[in-house]
Amino acid sequence: MIATWYVLVSLMLIIYVALDGRNFGAGMLHWLVARTPEERRQVVAAIGPLWSWHEVWLVGFGGTLVAVFPRLMASAFAGYYLALFLILWSLILRGVSIEVGGHIDDHLWQGFWDSVFAFSNFLLGILFGVAAGNVGRGVPLDAEGTFSMTFFTDFRVRGYVGLLDWYTVSVAIFAVVILAAHGATYLMLKTEGPVHDRSAVWAKYLWSAAVPLFLAISVESWVVRPDVPEHAISNPFCWLGLLIAVGSIIALISGLSTRRETRAFVGSSALLVGLLVTGAAAIFPVMLYSTIAPSNSLTAYGVASSHKTLVLASFWWPVGFVLATAYFVFISRRYAGKVSVKRDAQGFY
Amino acid sequence: MNSNISDPAFWSRFQFGFTLTYHYLFPQLTMGLAWFLVYWKWRALKKGDEKYDKAVRFWAKIFGLNFAVGVVTGIPMEFQFGTNWASFTRYSGGVIGQTLAMEGMFAFFLESAFVGALIWGEKRLGPRYHFAAALAVALGSWLSGFFILVTNAFMQHPVGYRSESNGLLGIASLSGYLLNPWAFVQFAHNQMAALVTGSFVVTAVGAFYALRGLHATQAQLYLRGGTFVALISSVLVAFPTGDQQAKMVGRHQPVTLAAMEGKFVGGSRVGVAVIGQPNVAARRLENPIEVPGALSFLAYGTFSSYVHGLEEYPADAWPDNIELLYYSFHLMITLGTIFIVLMGYASLQNWRGRLTSSPWLLWALMLAFPFPYIANTLGWMTAELGRQPWLVYGLFRTRDGYSKVVSNGDTIFTLIGFIGLYFVIGLLFLYLEGREIAHGPDEVVVAGGGAVASSRQEVVSSPAELVANRNGERFV
Repeated sequence: MIATWYVLVSLMLIIYVALDGRNFGAGMLHWLVARTPEERRQVVAAIGPLWSWHEVWLVGFGGTLVAVFPRLMASAFAGYYLALFLILWSLILRGVSIEVGGHIDDHLWQGFWDSVFAFSNFLLGILFGVAAGNVGRGVPLDAEGTFSMTFFTDFRVRGYVGLLDWYTVSVAIFAVVILAAHGATYLMLKTEGPVHDRSAVWAKYLWSAAVPLFLAISVESWVVRPDVPEHAISNPFCWLGLLIAVGSIIALISGLSTRRETRAFVGSSALLVGLLVTGAAAIFPVMLYSTIAPSNSLTAYGVASSHKTLVLASFWWPVGFVLATAYFVFISRRYAGKVSVKRDAQGFY
Repeated sequence: MNSNISDPAFWSRFQFGFTLTYHYLFPQLTMGLAWFLVYWKWRALKKGDEKYDKAVRFWAKIFGLNFAVGVVTGIPMEFQFGTNWASFTRYSGGVIGQTLAMEGMFAFFLESAFVGALIWGEKRLGPRYHFAAALAVALGSWLSGFFILVTNAFMQHPVGYRSESNGLLGIASLSGYLLNPWAFVQFAHNQMAALVTGSFVVTAVGAFYALRGLHATQAQLYLRGGTFVALISSVLVAFPTGDQQAKMVGRHQPVTLAAMEGKFVGGSRVGVAVIGQPNVAARRLENPIEVPGALSFLAYGTFSSYVHGLEEYPADAWPDNIELLYYSFHLMITLGTIFIVLMGYASLQNWRGRLTSSPWLLWALMLAFPFPYIANTLGWMTAELGRQPWLVYGLFRTRDGYSKVVSNGDTIFTLIGFIGLYFVIGLLFLYLEGREIAHGPDEVVVAGGGAVASSRQEVVSSPAELVANRNGERFV
C-alpha cells in the first residue's frame, strides 16, 4: 500500500515536471528565440491559457503529499523554508507576467513583463533543479526527523550540508539545460516562422549539451550516494524508467531529424518522465536521506499516514486521476496545432 | 491573541491570516460570478439574444483576471501548511490532507481545464459546449469551496477521525468526515456570502454605466440580475444559513459564542448587544444597548434558554482576542442587515421600473460593492478568531502547531515579502480591471497604433468583419 502511494505521489510530481517543464524551458529561451515583440507574443501564446492547468498538478501533488506522507511534508517544507518561498514567489511572478503582459498593447509594458517572465522561469528551473539535487543528496536530518538548512555551507555533500553544493549546483545546471531543451522542442511544435526555426536550432544544441551533462550527473550521483545503485538494480521500476528513457531518446532523435515535431515533443516529455521515474525508483524507500546519520533518514514507511487512511484515499483518488486524464484528452485536442497571435480582444495572448 | 512579538505562533498566524484573507478576495468573486456566467450563457443559448453573449464576454474577462490572481495567491496557501504549520501538518495531515488532495483532484483540475475554454473558446466550442464550459468552471469553483470548508469544519468541529497509536490523527470514517454537519452549514453560509459579493459587483458595474449613460442595455441587464440575486443571497446569508451557523457555534463552541457576544456572565433571557465594547480586563461589556432575550432565542430557540458566560470557562479556553472577535462578528451582522435593506429597496424600485431613474440609489449601489468583501472577511475573522485557542477544536492547540525549526525572523521576512508582492499585484489588478470596466462590454473598434494593429489590419478588411473577429475566440 505504501509503495503504491509512493508511486502515485511520484507520478503526480513527474507529470507536473513534464507539463510545466515546457513552460520553464520556453520561458528561459523567451528572449533568445523571440527577437521582436510580436515574436515574443507567440511564445507567451504557446503557454497561454494552459499554465494554470499545468500548475494545478503541483497543487494536486502537494495535497496528495499531505494526505499520504504528512510527516515528509512537515519536515521537508519547514526545512527548506526560504528556498520554498523563493519557488512560491517565482511561481507568482511567472503567473502574473503571463496574465497581465498581454492586457495592454504597449511595447514597454510587454517588454517589462516579458523580462519578468523569462527571469522567473529561469529561477524556477534552477530552484527545481536544486530541489531535485537535494532530494538525491539528502539533508541534515536529525534524530527527530527535522532539519533546517542554510543556502550553502562548505559545498561538500556530507555532514551539515547547505542547499547549494557542488552536486546540487550541477544538478541545477543539468535541469536548466534539459528543461530549456524540452521548452525548445515544445516551441518547435507550437510556433511558426523565425521563432520556430530558432527553437529548432536551440533544441539541437541543448539536447546535445544534455548528453555529457547527464553522464556527469550519473557519475556524480554514484559518488554522492554509492548505496543507491545497489538498491536500484533490483527495482523493476528503475528498469522501466530506463526503458522509457531509451525509447523516448529514439523518438526524440528521429522526431528532430525528420522534423516530425509531435513525435519529438512526445519523446522529449517521455524522456523527462523516464529519467524521473528512474530517479524516484532508485532512492525508494528513502524519501529524504540524512547526511548526518543514515538512520535518521525519512522512509516512505516511516512518514506515511495510517493504513486505514491510505486505504480510504485509494478509493476516491483514482476517480480524480481518471477525471484529470479525461480533461487532459480534452485539452490536448482543443489546443492542438500551432498558435496564432491574432488580436481579438479576448484577454492576453 | 498572544501578540508578543517573540511568539512564533503569532507570526505564523499573522502570515497565514494575511495571505489567506488576501487570497480569498478573489475566489469569493469568481464563485459568485460563475453562476451569472452560467445563467447568461443559458439565456443566450435559449433566446439567441446577443446581449447575453456580450455580457458573458465582458464578465469572462473580469472573471479571468480574478481567477488568475486567485490561482497565484492560492498556491502558497497549501504549501504554508508545511512551511509554517509543520507540527499541525504532522499531527492532522492524514485527515485534512484528504480534502486538500480532493480539492486538487476534483475541483482544480476541472476548473483550470475549462476556464481557458470559457474565456477564449466561444467561437471554436460553439454555444452548447461554451455553456458546458461555464457550468464546469462554476461547479469546479464551488467544489473547491466545499473541500476547503470541510477542511475548516474539521478544525472547528472535528469528526470522523481517530487517534492512531503514534498519537497522530487518521481517518476513521471518510463519509463522517466529509458529511460533517458543521461543513454543510458553513458551506451554505459561505457560498451565499460569495453570491452577495458577486451580485454586488455586477450591480455596481451596472450602476456605474447607468450613471454615466453608457452601455444602456448591458447596464439594465446587470442592474436587474444583480439586485435580484443580491437581495435573495443577502437574505439567505442571514437566514437560514447565518442563523444556523450561530446555533452551531452555540452548540459546539459555547465559549466562542459567549466571546462573540461579549457575555462574561451566563444567564437565561440573555440579550444581544446592538452597541457595546467588551472590556476583557474588567470582564464586562461597556455601554451595552441590548435587545432583551434575543441571544437566548437566536442561539437556543427560546427566550428563556440559558446562555453560557465566559466566566464559566477557564481563561485558557477563551478565544485569545475577544475584542477583535466581538467587533468582527457585530460589524458583519450590521453590514448584512444593511445589505438586505439596500437591496430590498433597490428591488422594489426595480419592480416599479424606477431603478435607473433614481441617481442617488445608483450612487449607493455603485459604492456598495466593497462592503461584501469586508463582510466576508469579517465572517472569516469571526470563524477563525472564534476557534482559538485551538487549531483543531478541543484536540490541538494553536501554540503547538507551528514549525519549530523556522525562526521568527524567517517568518517575518517572508511575511514582508508577501505584503510587498501582494501590494504590487493588487495595484496591477485594480489597474487592469479598471481598464476593462472603462472599456466596457460594447465592442469598440479602435484604430490603435503599434505593430499589433497593423497585423490586425492584414486579417480584417471591413469594420463588420473586425467586430466579428474581436467577438471570436482566440485560438492557441
